[in-house]
Amino acid sequence: MSMDTPLDLLKLNLDEKVFVKLRGAREMTGVLQAFDSHCNIVLSNATETIYELVDGELKSSTKGSEMVFVRGDSVTLITTPSD
Amino acid sequence: MSFFGFDTSLPNQGKGAGREKRTATPDKPLDFDETYQGLGEYENEEDDYLNNETFGNATDLGTDFDFGYGNGEINNGAVPTAAQVDHGRSYASAATTGPAVTNTGYAAAAPHSMDEGMDFTPMESLWTNQPMMMHHPQQPQHPQVLSMEELERQQQQQQVGVSHGQQQAYMGMPPMPPMGYGYAPQAFMPQAQVMPGAAYPSAPQGMPPQGLALPPQGMPPQSMPPPGMAPPQYQQHTLAMQQQPGAHQQAAHLAPSVVSPLAQQELQQSPHLVQKAAHPASAAVSDFATPSPPHLINSKSAQGQPRLGSPSQMAPSSQDSRESTPRGTRRGSMRKHQEPLSQDDFKRLQVRQAKVDKILRHSGVMTPRDKDFITRYQLSQIVTDDPYNEDFYFQVYKIIQRGGIVGESNKGLIARAYLEHSGHRLGGRYKRADVALQRMQSQVEKAVTVAKERPQKNRENFDGAKEGVLGKISSAKNSKAPRRQLQIPQQRDEDEDISSSAIEDVVESLNGVDISSSSRARRRSSYAFRSVDQRAVLSRSGGRKFVLSLIETVYAEVLDLEALLRSGKETDSTHLWESLHIADDAYEVSPFISILSFDKGVKIMPRIFNFLSKEQKLKLLYCFFSELSHLNIIVTSSYKTNPDPSDSQLKKIELFQSVFLKIIVSFLSSSAEFLEVLGLLLALVKNNNVSFISTSKIGLNLVTVLISRAALIKQDVSRGSVLSTVEASSWNEIYDKLFTALETKLAAVFPPEEYTSRVVVTSSNGTPTSATVGQSSGHQFYDQSYIWQFLASLALSGKLNHQRVIIDEIREEIFGTISRAEQLVKNVPAEEQQIALYQRDKLYQDLNLFLNVMGLVARDGEISELK
Repeated sequence: MSMDTPLDLLKLNLDEKVFVKLRGAREMTGVLQAFDSHCNIVLSNATETIYELVDGELKSSTKGSEMVFVRGDSVTLITTPSD
Repeated sequence: MSFFGFDTSLPNQGKGAGREKRTATPDKPLDFDETYQGLGEYENEEDDYLNNETFGNATDLGTDFDFGYGNGEINNGAVPTAAQVDHGRSYASAATTGPAVTNTGYAAAAPHSMDEGMDFTPMESLWTNQPMMMHHPQQPQHPQVLSMEELERQQQQQQVGVSHGQQQAYMGMPPMPPMGYGYAPQAFMPQAQVMPGAAYPSAPQGMPPQGLALPPQGMPPQSMPPPGMAPPQYQQHTLAMQQQPGAHQQAAHLAPSVVSPLAQQELQQSPHLVQKAAHPASAAVSDFATPSPPHLINSKSAQGQPRLGSPSQMAPSSQDSRESTPRGTRRGSMRKHQEPLSQDDFKRLQVRQAKVDKILRHSGVMTPRDKDFITRYQLSQIVTDDPYNEDFYFQVYKIIQRGGIVGESNKGLIARAYLEHSGHRLGGRYKRADVALQRMQSQVEKAVTVAKERPQKNRENFDGAKEGVLGKISSAKNSKAPRRQLQIPQQRDEDEDISSSAIEDVVESLNGVDISSSSRARRRSSYAFRSVDQRAVLSRSGGRKFVLSLIETVYAEVLDLEALLRSGKETDSTHLWESLHIADDAYEVSPFISILSFDKGVKIMPRIFNFLSKEQKLKLLYCFFSELSHLNIIVTSSYKTNPDPSDSQLKKIELFQSVFLKIIVSFLSSSAEFLEVLGLLLALVKNNNVSFISTSKIGLNLVTVLISRAALIKQDVSRGSVLSTVEASSWNEIYDKLFTALETKLAAVFPPEEYTSRVVVTSSNGTPTSATVGQSSGHQFYDQSYIWQFLASLALSGKLNHQRVIIDEIREEIFGTISRAEQLVKNVPAEEQQIALYQRDKLYQDLNLFLNVMGLVARDGEISELK
């Protein structure tokens, strides 16, 4: 298999759990189901973590979804989860 | 001249002047000063280094060399008599002692000196002046010792030699007793004679006397000083004796760096020299004859000019006419050419015999091998990358150091020396390629390279053997594991790795498991808990990314093959097989095992199996069972390594069971032969820590599948045809091995209470899996049926004593299960009675699976015989 582009590396993580950082102080972890050249990705068993500053305090809330489509223009980072 | 140890007295007639002298000093020990007459003070010893060529080789029959044997001999043997010859201690032989000894040692010392003579002949001009200068002072002091007769005779000989060519000279030996002079020029050629001195003594014999007289002409320039001394020939016996050795040494020192090469040349040459000697008329003569005539001519012409001019100049001063009138002597030489020499011949023959004896005496002391060894040894000390250059510089240095040469001539000499030596080295000028030297050099080179390579190889071996012990060696590149473009260092606890591998080694040796060579190379068998860290396993099989990319490749291959299949084309699983890397020994853990660590890797397996041949499937399974301990799922499903399984892990186990285990079972039941099943079981037992594997649900399942399959086939076979004795015995053997590995640890197949309850909790919180059973999600309990299945199949295949051992070991579990079953019903409230009854039935059911094998049944809290 040729490993020429960054997205080829992403391909390796198909069906694996990935950690995705998004614009707007959001993170998602989930199993990578699909992606395309725009970095549009589909995650299953995904958990979204949203960070926000409330009165100067950092608070986070999570949201789970069985299957989710993430538009590529909001993706800033994709990696394997640290756990 | 006599300086060099010549008895100028000629064998026959040559006794004239020399004789007189000798008689004059009858029995007195030779007094150095007397004999030397102070000449030594003038003698430049440095110039003596060619003495050997000049005289040593050309010793005459009658030479009175005394190498420490006292005067008596000198006196007696002024002229070698038959008796002396018989003694084997003739002067002639004595004269050749130096060379002869070396000959025996090197088989070629004599030619050696000759070689030098040859080498340096072109440098004659070097000496023309110098020696001359030395002569002048010397000659006046010398009483002339050589009679005119002698001189003439010698000259005559020379003439003959010149006129008739050397060939004749050789052949003509017999008729030319006084040949001395005649041969002087030829002294160069006689190389052959020296060595084979015994074989061809005539020439050498003739030489000595003339050597003294003739040096100016034929001899290398260095011999010049001696001429003046020629007269007191035999007083100089002593001197000769003293000097002769020195001469040899000098010769040896001549070209220090070249010494051994020379020796080699000699070695090399000696054979054909001998041959040549044997056939004087043949090549030897012609070989040497061709070069030497020029020399002669040169020397003659030289005489006429600067060099020879000086002799003539000397003539007046020197009372000895011999040197002063080289031409005159030559003229006269013709006259005496025809002297009868029968006696001489006889003597020569005797001397020759003596020489042969002499040579033979020590011949064979060293074998050619010994000589070769010594030579090699010496060579090894001096051989360098560029021996020629070193030689060359030494030669030039010598020329410069010798001094006396200034300006252009110096340059010319250096150039000539260069050419000479380079020519010589390359076998150019004299066509004497020193093959031996080259061979020796190449040998030494070889030895050096071998020595250089050895440590490297060792290191490679070391790396190979220890690869992975200290973690993956990134520098270990080979064709199978080339350096990858991206290499992300894996986090790894190396210490843990080391210790675990040490444990592994210990366990290995304790268990006495013999590991096949292939697995030893890779150390794939894994014991204990080395594989707990999944990252470590991944990194040992090429790294996570590598494995993931393998999976992608496999998917691509499978998709291709499926496309082919759909379009009805032939499928070729070669690429797919290669992409599985099952037989890939480049990694410590087969990448295939790591592929199974990923869900997607497991999921693709059924599709892979569609395209593999039976043989490939067998190989795949063999690899799988051999490295079972590395399998992530085993580690995950073992209560020892993973006492607190997570929901996802339980799902993984479930997936593996439902996918891969299913494949294995179907393959084994559909197409596997009895021996193949045995082979897989053997692979499992041999390369894995069975007791560890048995603590994991998947592992136990796999073992169960194998044993029960084997037992089933065995029963089938025994129903039909009879199992061959080989099959039966191997089955018994393997079963014994398996049982031995499990013995005393059978109770460990039951997971502890905490583990089962945790699994129950985890799985009831998450997605229900087959790990637990129950009628409702609220009343799950750990399903132990796989354990009883395992025990049942184990007992089924075992003999009575095996079954006894099993029961002994798990008795507590049996009774514990029964009591638990009974407790369930007793303690539960009425509304849950149904559930409890179900559980109890399940427990009994599982337990009876095992007990039935032995003809027992557990019912209502009691164990009875099965009816």
